Amino acid sequence: MTAANVAAAPGAPASAERARRITRRRMTGLIGHAYVWLVLIVFVLPFLTLLVYSVSGPGGTYAVQNFQYVLGSFGDNLWWSFRVSGLTLLINVLVALPAAYAIVRYPFPGKRLLFSALTLPLYVPGAVIGISLVLVYNFSYHLTTSVWGLVLAMAVGTFPLMLTPIVVALRDLPVSFEEAAACLGATRWQTYWRVVFPLIGPGVSAGLMLTFIIVFNEYLVTLFVHPPSITTGPLRVFNLVRTAGLAPTTAALAVTMQLISFAAVLVFFRVFGTRYLKGTYLI
Amino acid sequence: MSTVRLSRVSKRYGTTVAVHELDLDVADGELVTLLGPSGCGKTTTLRMLAGLIEPSAGRVWFDDEDVTYVPPRTRNIGFVFQTPALFPHLSVARNIAFGLSVKGAKRGAIDERVAEMLALVGLAGYGERMPSQLSGGQQQRVALARVLATDPRVLLFDEPLSALDRNLRDTLKYSILELQRRTGKTAIYVTHDQSEAFAISDRIVVMNAGRAEQIGTQTEIYLRPETPFVAEFIGATNALAGDVVAIDGTGEEARARVDVGGLQIRSRFRPGLSVGDRVAVYLRPENLVVVQEGQDRRFENVVEGEIERVIFEGPTAQLRVGVAGRELRADVSGGERLTFIEGRGRVRLGFNEVTLIPTPTPVPVPA
Repeated sequence: MTAANVAAAPGAPASAERARRITRRRMTGLIGHAYVWLVLIVFVLPFLTLLVYSVSGPGGTYAVQNFQYVLGSFGDNLWWSFRVSGLTLLINVLVALPAAYAIVRYPFPGKRLLFSALTLPLYVPGAVIGISLVLVYNFSYHLTTSVWGLVLAMAVGTFPLMLTPIVVALRDLPVSFEEAAACLGATRWQTYWRVVFPLIGPGVSAGLMLTFIIVFNEYLVTLFVHPPSITTGPLRVFNLVRTAGLAPTTAALAVTMQLISFAAVLVFFRVFGTRYLKGTYLI
Repeated sequence: MSTVRLSRVSKRYGTTVAVHELDLDVADGELVTLLGPSGCGKTTTLRMLAGLIEPSAGRVWFDDEDVTYVPPRTRNIGFVFQTPALFPHLSVARNIAFGLSVKGAKRGAIDERVAEMLALVGLAGYGERMPSQLSGGQQQRVALARVLATDPRVLLFDEPLSALDRNLRDTLKYSILELQRRTGKTAIYVTHDQSEAFAISDRIVVMNAGRAEQIGTQTEIYLRPETPFVAEFIGATNALAGDVVAIDGTGEEARARVDVGGLQIRSRFRPGLSVGDRVAVYLRPENLVVVQEGQDRRFENVVEGEIERVIFEGPTAQLRVGVAGRELRADVSGGERLTFIEGRGRVRLGFNEVTLIPTPTPVPVPA
């Protein structure tokens, strides 16, 4: 006879005790679940409200026409957002790849200072960046009228988001891979593209994702430095809300931007996520 | 095939000297081990041979070619790292193909070579696996196949087995030796593990503080250490300090008498010693024999002491015997070791093999 059997032998009092224990456990579980759901609602509710509002029609009806309006009238704004994001990503990745490699692999004087300076925009408020860039751009009339002024502003503001994940990925990558490649006869260029780049891929993609989401949704710095001819999606939302109040069509534009950002995150986690969650870049 | 020569090679980092004027000649097809404690400069030396770091002074030669400043890429070497360093995003076959593919070899030739190498290291059929699907030992064999695929002039090993568990180390070291013999490659092998070095080397370079203390075969290094460091680093030993008090006889028969704190020890004369010299005296524990009654005459030296401790190690038992105020370790094996398990009391230790090494300064005697 086991100890458990002995304890259960007296019958009724023991099972009542067990029932009480189960009830208490179930209560704790319920409270836990309620807490999780409450938090989720607090996070998700604003977005859900916006979603519902975006499909509301006149007279309390619901319609998807608002979204057709997004592609029609606001299409140009979304297209500008994509173009600015794309160009910013291109500039950032082209500068960050060699910069990160130099910062991690080579000793040079003032390295820490340089890295701190490059990550400075993370701690500077957008309004400050905006004002300073307006001052700087005033010396070059050309920049205030072309898309490049806006793209450069975005690149400066988001560069640390691109650089830091690549630096971290490179730091985690043992030098012996590069040494092994060199000993096997690979040139520096071959070593970089065949070994280093694929192995820091998750870091690069993280940088791309962060940069895209920030630039695609950025409005404050854009407000300062955008040329009159260019209005991005977020800026259009801001302008419309300010001038015409909150129309369902505007909400639809906002929802669309939100969905595009979600999609970017989803794609990122589908392609690279598991490697991140495993805590290693090495597959 | 290649010979390798280091001539007065030094490496300094600021004021620290990692390697100091190292000379080494490695014959074609020879396997030479650099053996020493961590920080002795053995890995630095290997990396200079690979071209991964440049010497501060001196020259490195492969055959008649001065490769001192030739980058690793064009040196045509095979470097096996402590970690296998297989490219994790490439299959086993593409890892092995890497060296050929960066040199622009034809697809067909590469496939053929990869298959040949996989068979050579006993991993035929593993080509499509990813490195993460292999065990540590298999990964290191792929690393070996990867360097052999490029047909290097020289093989360089940087503690390739230190990350593996003991059983695997024992089998893999013989695999490495066998592959080196079969391919006839000149090889330089870095390790801090004496048994590894003794098992596979043609010659061993014992390194300490950036210098080669002694270069020789296993027996030369073990039986005739030339410096106190070699005598103490290789194997176990009883280190004592004494003074030469007399030299008896001449030629082959010459004997030196050494006073070790009141104890008189007689030894084969070592050329160059003279009366009054300070010497380090080394007695290997396996050469100290427990002397039974009436057997004294077999030994040139017999000392008596009290057993202080017995450490049973399985095949042997260590007797720690207090002799004239110092502890001597004597290893006994066979049936005899069992008689000492509960051992206490007095024993007489006899020995003939004594190593004398002149020392300018007194050698610290371990307590």
